[in-house]
Amino acid sequence: MTRVRVEQIVKRFGETLAIDDVSLEVRPGELFTLVGPSGCGKTTLLRIIAGLLEQDAGSVLFNEDRMDDVPPYLRNIGVVFQSYAIFPHLTVAENIAYGLKARRVAPDKIASKVAEASRLVQLDELLGRMPSQLSGGQQQRVVLARALVIEPRLLLMDEPLSNLDAKLRVQIRSLIRSVQRTLQITTIYVTHDQEEALAISDTIAVIDRGRVLQLGKPWELYLRPANRFVADFIGTMNVFQGRVEGPGAAAGEHAVATSFGARWHVCAADTSGTRISLGVRPESLALERGGSGGESWNSLTGTITEAAYLGAVVRYQMRVADGLTITADIHNPDFAAIRSVGDELTLWFAASRAVTLPGETEGA
Amino acid sequence: MRRRRDLWWLVTVSAFFTVLAFLVYPLVTVLLTSFSGEEKRFVLVENYQRFFTHRYYYSSIINSLYLSTLATIGALALGTSLAFAVARYPLPGKAFLRTAANLSLLSPPFIGAYSWIVLFGRMGLVNRALGTIGWELPTIYGWRGILLVFIVQYFPFVFLLVSAALRSVDQSIEDAALSLGSPPRRTLCTAILPILAPSLTAGGLLVFMGTMADFGTPMIIGEGLRTLPTLMYGEFMNELGGNPAMASTLGSLLILVNTVALMAQRYYAFRKAYNVVCIQPLRVQRMGRARMLLLTAFAYAVVVVALIPSLTIIISSFMPTKGPVMYAGFSLHSYQVIFHMVPRAIANTFGLTALSVVLDVLLGVLVAYLLARRRSRAHALLDSLIMLAYAIPGTVVGVGLIVVYNRPPIILTGTWVILLVSYFIRHLPYPVRSCTAMLQQIDVRVEEASISLGVPPFRTFVKVTIPLMFPAILSGAALAWMTTIGELSSSILLYSGPWATMSVAIFTEVFSNHFGTASALASILILAAFIPLFLTYRFLGERSALGV
Repeated sequence: MTRVRVEQIVKRFGETLAIDDVSLEVRPGELFTLVGPSGCGKTTLLRIIAGLLEQDAGSVLFNEDRMDDVPPYLRNIGVVFQSYAIFPHLTVAENIAYGLKARRVAPDKIASKVAEASRLVQLDELLGRMPSQLSGGQQQRVVLARALVIEPRLLLMDEPLSNLDAKLRVQIRSLIRSVQRTLQITTIYVTHDQEEALAISDTIAVIDRGRVLQLGKPWELYLRPANRFVADFIGTMNVFQGRVEGPGAAAGEHAVATSFGARWHVCAADTSGTRISLGVRPESLALERGGSGGESWNSLTGTITEAAYLGAVVRYQMRVADGLTITADIHNPDFAAIRSVGDELTLWFAASRAVTLPGETEGA
Repeated sequence: MRRRRDLWWLVTVSAFFTVLAFLVYPLVTVLLTSFSGEEKRFVLVENYQRFFTHRYYYSSIINSLYLSTLATIGALALGTSLAFAVARYPLPGKAFLRTAANLSLLSPPFIGAYSWIVLFGRMGLVNRALGTIGWELPTIYGWRGILLVFIVQYFPFVFLLVSAALRSVDQSIEDAALSLGSPPRRTLCTAILPILAPSLTAGGLLVFMGTMADFGTPMIIGEGLRTLPTLMYGEFMNELGGNPAMASTLGSLLILVNTVALMAQRYYAFRKAYNVVCIQPLRVQRMGRARMLLLTAFAYAVVVVALIPSLTIIISSFMPTKGPVMYAGFSLHSYQVIFHMVPRAIANTFGLTALSVVLDVLLGVLVAYLLARRRSRAHALLDSLIMLAYAIPGTVVGVGLIVVYNRPPIILTGTWVILLVSYFIRHLPYPVRSCTAMLQQIDVRVEEASISLGVPPFRTFVKVTIPLMFPAILSGAALAWMTTIGELSSSILLYSGPWATMSVAIFTEVFSNHFGTASALASILILAAFIPLFLTYRFLGERSALGV
């Protein structure tokens, strides 16, 4: 199993800084995801790790081996591209065997390895087909088998699901995850889809403008976003501005006066007098005050401006004050509890559900 | 991954060397020679002044511009009408119409010119037939004949390009215009034609540049009508001692006219290039029976006229002849004569063309890869230099090569090498274009996938890229073959002694009034051009084979 270390990588394209001094470590056998908006540098970083692009500064290490001067064809990596990059002139079997032939593996051994790899990705029926006879999902499985059959030190995947329809995406996603777990292969996965990142990853790095903004387990990013960008990018976040006024009602809580005049008790670490930004997820808002766990509950009243009934969830847009509209997701709504546009609504959230977002100034 | 002096570096250097030595240097020499006076003095305006003050000289540029402009208008009208008729209306036998229109590209224009003389010349088959019943037809010689040949020979370029462009227009565009209240004719002018503008102008440019450079057609059917290429040839090869300075002046003007036309089209097409996404091509429209008949008659008339030259040549090659007069009947005499008299010319043509096409493909594939995958400023320059060969008339290349390579240290004149050089450099753009276009459609990631799987870059190029480029290699080679095999305008200047080619032999035979042998040679030439194209066509399907 391979540990990947990226050390102080810098990459420029002309004037633009695509990768701005990035360092990170991928643990052996884990599925590590680079997530961020398009143009954030995640694919650039992946291509540098693959050796398909040369960094301007910094190093890539596989275990203790420095890879900077190793050309891509000697790095022994499997790459799965967004556009599949299937060889259109070769059959499925020839596609899968391609890397083995380059390694001069004996023909009978190639046959058995190809058979094994195609079983792994459920392609064994299609080995004689040409790529043009395959669906998108099948093509994606061919390139996955092609990348895995060479037993690479590392598997790199660049938005492998973005050309598939929604249903297939979920199917292939779980296939990738189960194959990756079975083979225990260190995998670096690039996506712009935060939901995909949450579902598939052991560790996620959120990237924006060539920098890693936060690195952690999926729930760490979601529940404890390090900043406003991560909070917004991973899921939806309602952000409130306020000022810490003193100790709160329960232990570990602070009293906060919000910009629109409410007084809340939240688990914030800041001391009196400082301005803070508070984030509350839409699903943390409830129609009723919660149980008596000893923590404080805060209320929020406003007028509904939009209501989208989605079955399992009702999503309200609610105007709380001038210029401040929030999103609230009410799960499993009761028939009698459905509200419509124009209604006034009071929602509740627990003190521990508010997160402090540092580096946020008022009016931002 | 560090920049090394690898194989691609070597390809870049050799491509530059080739183009500089065989195209740029000769051209620059021609330009400089146009500024040389007596005893090789530098004179700024003397030659040009002479050109523009003597009617004998300046009439040539007027004739050339006049003929090319009219031919361009005619070919645009004919090619576009036929393309619309075939694409939009339910004409019977569309496949035949398309193929027939393309087939007329196979015979070089000067052979087309000759075939019209066989029919409508002084001793022409039709003229004599009508003469027996007392009808006098005006003969075909002079500017009318040139214009006819130009339009008939060059309209297929417009037809091809406009047909291709029409296939990429989505029906929704027409529907949108109609639904917004624009009547059909207005829709055609305001929605469809503007989208076709780049293709229309590209087709027009091909016609204009091709007819400007055409040496054989005015020579054969013009009867002394001077155009820039014929006068240039005359000045250079004058029996009373050639005048390279005046020939170069004419050549420079020819380059100037073609370059201006090229730049104008590029500038225009660049600004008018739209990205059209075609999901559903334009619908075939219904129409009334009378209009339908009329349109069918028009389309078939056009392709019949386009096919007449080739058919005339092939049929007349099997007729008994006496000088320029042909008689009804069947005879293989003409073929016996040519295989007895000019077997060498036939061998020369096939040998030199094959060699030139092989070299074009070899360098073309490598250069195309550089242009598409490793584009740098140097490669962009290389691209422009190679494409220069498109715009430079064969006569100018011929004169340039002679002037440069007839003196030490390198003497190529009098050898077959100089013919090969001219063929090679002039037709290099075909494989370069077709392969570059293809590479732009091949996902780079496919090559990266191969590299990541452990196959080094050059082996990846051989194992993955070349197989994927194969259709483009084939069509580039077929186009180069087709255009090289009948090349006349530089061959006529560059051949010497035993190195005459079939095109030169045909030309000489026509001028010595041996029409039978000319027809036999021309038939072989047409067939030789046709077979590789036909095979490519069968192998790849219509679109890719002629995707210029």
